[in-house]
Amino acid sequence: MDGAVAANEVRSKADWKVGVDIGGTFIDFCALEANSGRVASLKVLTTPDDPGAELMTGLKLLAEREGFDPTHMTRFVHGTTIGINTIIQRKGAPLALFTNAGFEDVIELARLRMPDMYSLFCSRSDPLIPRDMVFGIPARMRADGSESQAPDMAAVERSVAAAKANGAQGIIVSFLHAWRNGAQEASVKSVIARLAPELFVFTSAEVWPVIREYERSSTAILNGYVHPRVSGYLTALEERLTSRGVSARPMLTKSNGGLMNAAEGKRACVNMLLSGTASGVIGASWLARQAGEDRILTLDIGGTSADFALIIGGEAQFGTGELIGEFPLHIPSVSVSSIGVGGGSIASVDAQGVLRVGPESAGSTPGPACYGRGGMRATVTDAMVVCGWLGHSEMAYGQLSIDTGLAHRAVGDLAARLGRPVEQTAQAILDIAVSEMFVEVEKLASRAGVDLRDFTLMPFGGGGPMLGAFLARELGMKRVMAPRRPGVVSALGGLVADLRGDFIRTIFSPLSAASLPAIRAAFEALAQEGRDWLAAQGHHAAAELNLSCDMRYIGQSYEIEVVLSPKWLAESDAEAIAQAFHRTHEQLYDFHDPNGAIELVNVRLSAIGSGPALSFPEADEIEALASPARRIPIYAGLSVETVDLYDRQALEPGSTFQGPAVVVQEDTTFAIPAGTQARVDRHLNLLLTFAE
Amino acid sequence: MFDRTNLQVLANHARAAAENMAHTLHRTAHSAFVKETQDFTVMLMDRSGATFAVPMELGATWYPGLSYHRAIAMVDDYRPGDVAFTNDPYSGHVATHAPDTHLWKPVFVEGEIVAWTGGHIHNTDMGGAVPASLSRALTEIHQEGIRFPPMKLVREGVFDETILRIMSTNVRKPDLNIGDIKALVGALNTGERKIQAMVKKFGTAGFVEGVAALLDHAEAQARDVLRAMPDGTWEFADYADEDSVEANPCRLKLRLTIKGDEAVLDFTGSDPQLGSSLNVPSGGDPRHTMLLVGVYYVLYTLNPKILLNTGLTRPFTCITPQGSVLNPVHPAAVGMRSLTCARLRSVIFGAFSQAVPERLPAAPAGNNCIVNVMTTDERTSRSVIAAVNPVVGGGGAMPHRDGTNGSGADAAYLKNTPIEITETETPVEFVKYGLARDSGGAGRWRGGLATEMAFRVFAPDSRITARNRDRSFFRPWGVLGGKAAGLSDMVVNPGTSHERRLGNIDTAVLQPGDVLEIRSAGGGGRGDPHQREPWRVAQDVRRGYLTPAAAERDYGVVFCDGEVDEQATNELRAQHKPAAGHFHFGPEREGYEAQWTPAAYDRLHAVLDALPIHWRFFAKTEIFRRMKGRTGPEGVQAAFDAVCERFPELPRPKPVREAAE
Repeated sequence: MDGAVAANEVRSKADWKVGVDIGGTFIDFCALEANSGRVASLKVLTTPDDPGAELMTGLKLLAEREGFDPTHMTRFVHGTTIGINTIIQRKGAPLALFTNAGFEDVIELARLRMPDMYSLFCSRSDPLIPRDMVFGIPARMRADGSESQAPDMAAVERSVAAAKANGAQGIIVSFLHAWRNGAQEASVKSVIARLAPELFVFTSAEVWPVIREYERSSTAILNGYVHPRVSGYLTALEERLTSRGVSARPMLTKSNGGLMNAAEGKRACVNMLLSGTASGVIGASWLARQAGEDRILTLDIGGTSADFALIIGGEAQFGTGELIGEFPLHIPSVSVSSIGVGGGSIASVDAQGVLRVGPESAGSTPGPACYGRGGMRATVTDAMVVCGWLGHSEMAYGQLSIDTGLAHRAVGDLAARLGRPVEQTAQAILDIAVSEMFVEVEKLASRAGVDLRDFTLMPFGGGGPMLGAFLARELGMKRVMAPRRPGVVSALGGLVADLRGDFIRTIFSPLSAASLPAIRAAFEALAQEGRDWLAAQGHHAAAELNLSCDMRYIGQSYEIEVVLSPKWLAESDAEAIAQAFHRTHEQLYDFHDPNGAIELVNVRLSAIGSGPALSFPEADEIEALASPARRIPIYAGLSVETVDLYDRQALEPGSTFQGPAVVVQEDTTFAIPAGTQARVDRHLNLLLTFAE
Repeated sequence: MFDRTNLQVLANHARAAAENMAHTLHRTAHSAFVKETQDFTVMLMDRSGATFAVPMELGATWYPGLSYHRAIAMVDDYRPGDVAFTNDPYSGHVATHAPDTHLWKPVFVEGEIVAWTGGHIHNTDMGGAVPASLSRALTEIHQEGIRFPPMKLVREGVFDETILRIMSTNVRKPDLNIGDIKALVGALNTGERKIQAMVKKFGTAGFVEGVAALLDHAEAQARDVLRAMPDGTWEFADYADEDSVEANPCRLKLRLTIKGDEAVLDFTGSDPQLGSSLNVPSGGDPRHTMLLVGVYYVLYTLNPKILLNTGLTRPFTCITPQGSVLNPVHPAAVGMRSLTCARLRSVIFGAFSQAVPERLPAAPAGNNCIVNVMTTDERTSRSVIAAVNPVVGGGGAMPHRDGTNGSGADAAYLKNTPIEITETETPVEFVKYGLARDSGGAGRWRGGLATEMAFRVFAPDSRITARNRDRSFFRPWGVLGGKAAGLSDMVVNPGTSHERRLGNIDTAVLQPGDVLEIRSAGGGGRGDPHQREPWRVAQDVRRGYLTPAAAERDYGVVFCDGEVDEQATNELRAQHKPAAGHFHFGPEREGYEAQWTPAAYDRLHAVLDALPIHWRFFAKTEIFRRMKGRTGPEGVQAAFDAVCERFPELPRPKPVREAAE
């Protein structure tokens, strides 16, 4: 299919849709030519020194290899880590914070509780705005939104001068109770704009007007901190694309799993911080729905970490309060749990002779010993090599090769210290790595109150397929579904995503028939905001508006989100809303209180503009035994045995085989343990079921 | 012998089970105490009832070394599906005050108990004299609520309704108690299921041996930490500001002896049990978890990979004389033992700080003050009770960095409530919430700053309680030339003509418009402050952590127009003589100990120890009343003679024993 003739044919009337996801080591491309249903995927090493350059390299390679034509690209969706890297590397803009006098330390105190609470050395990260750039402005809003002290504009003027003198590039304005009334913030912002038009200003209420001063301030600060770099990057990207003749306006993936346009991305940068992990889950949900799978645990293993998420009813789950480093991001985000164990995690033996894995990682540089880039210490990937699961083909589209000798040497060092055979040591490293992930997934499941035995595991990313089946068995799961292109699920997620804007108002009132008019009015205002937002994104087709409320029993200290039917609001049916809350509470917490008074904290609205209805090619299933490419020796727990190795490309839909086996493909390798029945479905997913 | 290569796999499965239990409880509990304050624990226990795994992210930090064996033994004939419980601080020494209700459940495999799951919740109220069952003023356990000695709560899966009815009749918020207890039972069931899955994976023998190996591993890690310390004996004492409404200091004393890989913590010389609820009911258990919480912090700080389980406690032996504040006899009240426990931790930190001065921080603020307000909402005329933020102070300065500001060290588990939430729910208005200037102990590394909070009320007779306040007189100490930190305080209407300083008092009644300001202590400093780089001092000044005056006085850094005056600084620093001695306590304690010398305390304890237990606190109080103008052992003797004269009924003391024991 890669012939020049086919390529030319495609080029003439092509309709290319391209999703791109920039990760830590690689940038992934997933391209679909919509007329022919042709799918192409690609990985290119990232260029941290010149972000965006690798993107152009990738597009060029796509053109050369796959007949892609940039001028016939109708959709270009892009996820970038530039925002999150700016925070983690602390390379953001110098900012000043204007907040109420008397409350200047709120961002340093955070919520007091610290991780690692058994250590006398526990500490918080330094705030992104140091204390000497925090300016207390005499001003006070009451909880009901009335003003008890107007902002002291003379203090604002003095503070602007001081902030400028200290090199601030932008100012964040965050006042108490701006969730209820943002007027004080807005008036201070306009004064700053007049005094110092060269400074950018974000107010906490315009970024995300939610109650809880620390979380709201933190979200606004994150937005300002990454703003100059993100907007600079996006401007350069637009120029590069234009110069290539691309007419499609780039769309950006968001932490909420949806999309926004680049103009929005330059302003609301905070929305893209977790887009990489979010679009992975969105891509996985899409694949799951396509295959008719309803409940999925995703597993994305990279070099330094493993990410997990639950998909329930075919939909990603959402949460707020995800952490960026140590800073909470309080916008709605696709819920993803993470643990610092990945293919590069280093194995070591402690003083008492106990073998451990992580948290130290060899990362992508130097990487596992077997990459031959100077890594000397044994990693999880090296253990996979020693056991024989890895090292039978090139990896990462030929950009990596495996030196089994180096892996043996690294694991052998540990084996000598433990006094064990090298294969046994390698197996123990894998068992420990899996058990570390087991802890994290068990926590996720108990938080969500779900039974994982009803779920299917979907491994993706470069490393997910290596350990996915082992983890699934440890968790008592019965099925694994591995997509055809596990390396580009995040890029696919962008490709299939919808436009999605989230809007919130904090109401904070008891739920009763009397409070419904105010709630309805708030929803109407949000709906208007939502429609305006979609129009600004260039979406003029029908909009889907999803309503929900954050509610709690009076006296509780946190809320749960309850989906609302517009009908209940239209009919002023407070009882139906209450019942929905009781039901959701029961579902999440195993109890409800039918007599409990209910409080409504926030109303939320998601405005969704559907993306194009894409479908990937399907093939008829032919019931047949798959034929292995060759047989290889594997150490599978007790002894070395010879197992089948399959080439993923040659596996026809409907073909079956049994584990233990290895499946290799251009971007990953599947380890399939004994006692597994494997089958390829018509979407080319590889389905594993475990005999119990 | 369990294969140690796979020990981490077993450890991870055990931890997953514990985390699973914690999340289940946290998710399904009803009360704010469990859900928000996270005052709960869950654990997996071996066949003997010794804890072998705890969660690391949720819950309180106190019980990884708790053993349930005595409580387990007080109930007969366990069957599958049974759950036993107790909240009695004087039966089995599992519960340590009445609100803490502990549950445990046997895990059966093929008819045999292979393990136990257990845990505790802090019930909002267990009845008794005051709401929430906790007050420093209570004097005997019977005032602190209803007590249940160890007994079955659930029989073969069925709750004993009689017990639930008795509890419901006696407590103020029965729905919360029952809801939380049922949530904890759910968590124990989860743990049971997870343990049974572990047994299936590892085999019964493999599981039992593996659990033993986990305890042995923690023990070996603890012994390695001790072995890395020099052998020797170190003494240290610290004081709680007030022992009761009588307001005399309460002294805790520790003689720490490290020999090889073992340590003895001898608390002889600590004050007699108190006529208040500040007693710590250890039952004299040489490895009671309450006595060793400070040790967990030290071990974990020195080796963050240490496994937290009962194995850690094996190399340690605690000596707590019967009738002392750390081993009170029935019916001493114990409700507010948290305050004493904070001081107990600082005594342990102080002793270990002398053993390994290079590796441990100075004293943390050590006052984990919980503030509650009861007021009237003027809009609805309804009475409102709400928890306002905890006011805790900074961590002690560390060997290589400043102490954490505002909280940290052994207070890092506490969480605050957003001001916007409090103001929306409760008719109070905050005036200030932030860090207190000049409150961190000066040092080469500065102690963490104190927290300062002020709020205004609007209704008459608004009642404030500020539990666990301490350190308003005895400062958190500095080490190795570092200075002691700023003191805690509570002031009504600060800076006005009707200002009222409340010192260590933990309650206040406010009238409309009154402002209450609560300040915590700070963390102690570490190392000579004159060695602190001037740029760091300048940064502290710029950030408002330090006034220029304090910078000059404490650090010898002179400021001129906001900039460091290098020449003046060099001149001032040239005259500086570094302080000698390991600790710096501040003028208050130095003044106090000029009167109450170590020898005076030895005499006091010799006198008191000779009395029957129920006379000791009375006699202590009467001696303190007569110490004005008296100092040292002679002063104590003279005061005691005066007490004997006033109270001829006082049992004649037996002849004073020789000091050597």
